[in-house]
Amino acid sequence: MNTTHPAVTDLRTETMTLNMGPSHPGTHGVLRLLLEVDGETVVSAQPILGYLHSGKEKIAEHRTYHQFIPYTDRLDYVAPLSNNVAYVLAVEKLLGIEATPRAQYIRVLCCELARISAHLLWLGTMAVDLGAVTIIFYAFREREKLNRLFEDLTGVRMNTSYTRVGGLAWDLPEGFESRVRAFLDEFPSQLKEMDGLLTRNRIWYDRCRGVGVISREDAIAYGLTGPSLRAAGVAWDLRKARPYSSYEHFEFDVPVEEAGDSYARYLVRMEEMRQARRIALQAIERMPGGPISVPDPKITPPPKRRILCSMEELIQDFEIVVFGHRAPKGEVYHSIEAPKGELGFYIISEGGGKPYRLKIRSPSFCNLSAMSKMVEGRLLSDVVTVISSLDPVMGEVDR
Amino acid sequence: MPTARQLNFVERLYLPEIVRGLSHTIRHLFRPKFTLQYPEERDVPLSRFRGMPALVRDENGRTKCVACKLCEFVCPPVAILIEAHEVADHPVEKGPKVFDINMLRCIMCGYCEEVCPEEAIFLTEKFELAAPSRAELVFNKEQLLEIGGVRPDPYHKWG
Amino acid sequence: MFDGNLEDMIMTTRLGEVVKWARKNSLWPMPFGTSCCAIELMSVLTTKYDISRFGAEVARFSPRQADLLMVAGWITRKMAPALRKIYDQMPEPKWVIAMGACASCGGPHNSYAVLQGADEVVPVDMYVPGCPPRPEAVIDAVIKLQERISRASGDETRQGAALAPRQEGA
Repeated sequence: MNTTHPAVTDLRTETMTLNMGPSHPGTHGVLRLLLEVDGETVVSAQPILGYLHSGKEKIAEHRTYHQFIPYTDRLDYVAPLSNNVAYVLAVEKLLGIEATPRAQYIRVLCCELARISAHLLWLGTMAVDLGAVTIIFYAFREREKLNRLFEDLTGVRMNTSYTRVGGLAWDLPEGFESRVRAFLDEFPSQLKEMDGLLTRNRIWYDRCRGVGVISREDAIAYGLTGPSLRAAGVAWDLRKARPYSSYEHFEFDVPVEEAGDSYARYLVRMEEMRQARRIALQAIERMPGGPISVPDPKITPPPKRRILCSMEELIQDFEIVVFGHRAPKGEVYHSIEAPKGELGFYIISEGGGKPYRLKIRSPSFCNLSAMSKMVEGRLLSDVVTVISSLDPVMGEVDR
Repeated sequence: MPTARQLNFVERLYLPEIVRGLSHTIRHLFRPKFTLQYPEERDVPLSRFRGMPALVRDENGRTKCVACKLCEFVCPPVAILIEAHEVADHPVEKGPKVFDINMLRCIMCGYCEEVCPEEAIFLTEKFELAAPSRAELVFNKEQLLEIGGVRPDPYHKWG
Repeated sequence: MFDGNLEDMIMTTRLGEVVKWARKNSLWPMPFGTSCCAIELMSVLTTKYDISRFGAEVARFSPRQADLLMVAGWITRKMAPALRKIYDQMPEPKWVIAMGACASCGGPHNSYAVLQGADEVVPVDMYVPGCPPRPEAVIDAVIKLQERISRASGDETRQGAALAPRQEGA
């Protein structure tokens, strides 16, 4: 594999240390790179993290399982719904319960809409980073439609805090399915428009093709997950490999590319949006009826009307809020296929309503670790391409 | 499934892309405008809108909050401060003396509304709160009651 | 012959008013986006909300060319020096909007790592509550800031925004 650009192989000068970030538009937030450059060629790249470290794992130790849900929104803030789902699935595993079929289907729908939304944002920002400014306006037009749907479902555009331990905060609103369907019906033509502007565009092709190459073996060794792994030829998708939340009921393809470069990652993500649409349509079509929360009074607070009128339910409401969900002693790990890759929560419980320790396995962090390998020997301008194509979200990297 | 094939000769020329790009631009000129002319034009508020939380009174003008402090407890960013006192209003006996919501802290998650056993706190549709100082964004009980207004109580828990 | 009232025919204004008018309608923002709010800030800048209707669309990533620092997202103790440095590099007159709960006061992140408000390092002119604030709320803040600029007396366009006094556990 030739990682050195042919035009600069015979040029050698004294190396220079270049500081990229923490406030740089190309680093998607607050990533700081310490680049060692030889002319235009990157000799080494060292990411410096911690500029967005908010201590969420520590905060989790002081919040009940219920109270921590809003903090999960602020991990991968590009797809909050999918973080909510990952977290409550881990807590439910700890408590030994399973959500109702309807809740599971709604969670799948949420995850897939979040995936489309996250990939649209990635597409817009990557295009801006590579100079195709138009795309971000098209991508955000679609994202705004999705945000409107999220607002319809959860009350806010971002940071949804929608799921609850044992179910969901609210059921689908009246006519929500038809509004989602209207969006999904229209979406392919809009995506095709963006696809048509980029995929076979020579500038786009030349700036992505062969840039940031990672081999299949290296991708596995670095612990890459999500689209970055699948672009390197590994057909690994947790939705297929370890189905959760009824993903085994859905038909979809896992897009895989062999090249392992930025262009392959781009193609995989574009195809994932189409597959996410397919899953979302299936979820709407086959949406089962029934309750959205497990009927266990120790898990789900009683309905408001009962709390207002009956002493027993009032005490229950207080118990759940004040003491939290009484978790048994133990350790669990549960991960989902988030838009960026494997998002896992590892919870150690010593009993009681708060975790003893909560560890977040964030996909962006692991994906970012391969960044240095991808840019070494490449030109400086390729660094931006590699970062955008890996799509790290710093809220998740630093936590 | 997309294929990562090489660009062909026509695709390697810049010209077709320029034509394609410009034709997109021209087509978009005649499409319906997507921009919301914000201060004059607004989105229709949705029923689940989560804006600023506020306290409400019942139809007799009584503050519904009984200062049980459950919202203060559940609030993830700790934005609520409650101090209770005894009220003469029989049979409620207890009410908030101080009820402050620090709107700078508030993340509008709706947990307070969700847990309230008295239906005394609601998320309103108010969200344009920008202010030049921190002090203006700490809302006290009177301000919150004014924003919340009156919500008739269907249950008449307190007779 | 000239028989009209002179004042009807000549637009008179003071230079200060013209300067203020120009300043308030060309607030070039420097988006200091660190986290969630940065995504909403992108919504503000793009299709649906389009802040260019207020002359503030030219997002400058170089502080030397910006008038308005938009602090969007939580500022960690590690990030604080960078924020201050960026603020110091901006030419006068300059304004700061703290967008969202985290930039305003730390929001839900009351932890060892997060600065409890950007106003511990830079003076903030406008606080925007919300987590993240809706794009409308950000535009509302920009409009309020424009009003403030046009209200300012004489050449003084900043009305004493100051660093927050250090407070424990606020």
